[in-house]
Amino acid sequence: MKSRTPLREPRVDKPNDPEPEVRLRPATEKDIPALVGLLLRLKRLNEEFDPLLKVRPDAEERAREVLKAELRNAKSLLLVAEGVRQEAGKVVGVVRATVRERPFYTPESEGVIQDIYLLPLYRRHGVGEYLLTETVRRLKELGANLVTAEFPTQNEIAGHFYAKRGFRPITALHARPL
Amino acid sequence: MVRAEGARRSTRPARRRLRAPRPEEPDEQGTTDRLGSRSVELAKFYQGKIETVPKVPVRSLADFSVWYTPGIAAVSRAIGSEPELSFELTGRWNTIAIVTDGSRVLGLGDIGPEAALPVMEGKALLFKYLGGVDAIPVPIRADSPEAIISTVERIAPAFGGINLEDIASPKCFEVLEELTRRLPIPVWHDDQLGTAAATVAGLLNALKLTDRDIRHVRTALLGAGAANLVTARLLIALGHDPRRLSLVDQRGILDPEREDLDVLRFSNRWKYDLALKTRGGGRRGDAAEAVREADVLLAASTPDPNTVKPSWIRSMAPGPIVFALANPVPEIWPSVAREAGAAIVATGRGDFPNQVNNSLVFPAVFRGVLDARARRIPDEIVLVAARELAEYAAQHGLSPEHIIPTMEEHEVFPRVAAAVATRSVELGIARRKRSFEEFLELASARMGRTRAQASALYRAGFTLPMPDEPTPKERT
Repeated sequence: MKSRTPLREPRVDKPNDPEPEVRLRPATEKDIPALVGLLLRLKRLNEEFDPLLKVRPDAEERAREVLKAELRNAKSLLLVAEGVRQEAGKVVGVVRATVRERPFYTPESEGVIQDIYLLPLYRRHGVGEYLLTETVRRLKELGANLVTAEFPTQNEIAGHFYAKRGFRPITALHARPL
Repeated sequence: MVRAEGARRSTRPARRRLRAPRPEEPDEQGTTDRLGSRSVELAKFYQGKIETVPKVPVRSLADFSVWYTPGIAAVSRAIGSEPELSFELTGRWNTIAIVTDGSRVLGLGDIGPEAALPVMEGKALLFKYLGGVDAIPVPIRADSPEAIISTVERIAPAFGGINLEDIASPKCFEVLEELTRRLPIPVWHDDQLGTAAATVAGLLNALKLTDRDIRHVRTALLGAGAANLVTARLLIALGHDPRRLSLVDQRGILDPEREDLDVLRFSNRWKYDLALKTRGGGRRGDAAEAVREADVLLAASTPDPNTVKPSWIRSMAPGPIVFALANPVPEIWPSVAREAGAAIVATGRGDFPNQVNNSLVFPAVFRGVLDARARRIPDEIVLVAARELAEYAAQHGLSPEHIIPTMEEHEVFPRVAAAVATRSVELGIARRKRSFEEFLELASARMGRTRAQASALYRAGFTLPMPDEPTPKERT
């Protein structure tokens, strides 16, 4: 039978060029235009999850200001994921995080991951894992002894990503418009 | 029925009226209207297209004590202790359910399960007549993929296979994937697998005729619905370089940096995955950009003859292959495509050469998986069906006008069935192991029996003649 209908075994798709990789570094002023673009992509995705996450018309402008302020804030972490090798210098992801005090609870210092975004092509392949580990390491350096992550409740992929890495929900944010 | 007809008419594009038809363009509007009123008339007359018929002798009422209680209890006990025996001791082995939620019926959209019933009956008739398969229409009221999945899971014990029909994309992907995972019987969705298998069959021969190697061609897929997403997957499985494959939807080439990709990851992960895998085929932009220098254009998009521009075809590699598969009107008329340089043209219609027709596929695939009592239908099976179709056409005179068998070449059905059954055995998913020749004989006998039975019922007057003169010969 095999000789009657010769059929190539369906192959697993193995691209010839190496898997995309990224490296993470602190952002500078020059990165801001690219980071604004990525941040807005993330916010526009969030828009899909709830009407109360609707992106405002001046979001781009505000993002620029916010990111600039964060660059100057010692408690803020603004990281750039960029490509390597032939893609060196290409901005492919962003991490926004901050350290804040928890006045009533211990551990007292919370590193909050506010936004993580990677362009689709650079996801998987352990890149998300690397981003998280690296961010956590830097948050620790800034004094955090607890790490939390913010994302839309409906984003199940994000929920799954963090749950797999030992995160659990501790507080809930419920909203209604006024 | 009358309402359904009204709905159908209202969806006909009026634009074709705007210019004189080309000589080869059939009077499609007129034909569709005529066939529509004939269908309604005959539906009123026959009130259904299939019925169940006893297949055991009943010599006297005493026989019911074996066909039914008390004798039948022993059969039930046997199956109770070994459920797999239901494939041997009942009609389960040859019975499938045609399940739909009515969410995407023909070109009519979401018209609901009741309105889907006449279509499912028609499909059941095709299954029986072409494949000898007993198919039961099961339109269900289900408002979510999970509702379809759990309903099918609950009715599965009665069936040897499930044919999903007319379920909207991308819901259909989730339903097919999940049911294939959960059920121990083959599950098929024609809009995904049938169309893709027929497309691949035609394409394999078109590549052969134009002396091309699938590993080196560049392909543009216009339309990213159920059929093209699966066609892309199958082409990659056959060795097509994903980086030379551009999928195009209404927004243009599906490339990984497109703005809507993050949303697609949630709303249609099949499309999302292909965007990453193909990386737009190295292209970014609109359909014209995807087609430029491509060897192959596979259009499964909008039923409008102006969808594919002649200039696109002129921009393709020399001797391009063009499949315009929208129904009822192809994306470009074959004569226009050929004038623009297409070496081989296929459509979804029977009144042009090279009809890429899923009716060539599903009756044979089910005949095959049922005869082998296969547990599921992996892509290898779909590809075997495509290959067998292609080989059959090749053995019966390959030409630019004959790259895929026609419905008239019905010896192709048992061959595809036997190839499918044999491959199921090789893959270790068959409950019943036979040789290719044995499966071929089984399939031919089963299919021949149905045709003989249908004509005997007609001759004996149980199938009534049509109320007035027969319609002009149209394709099924």
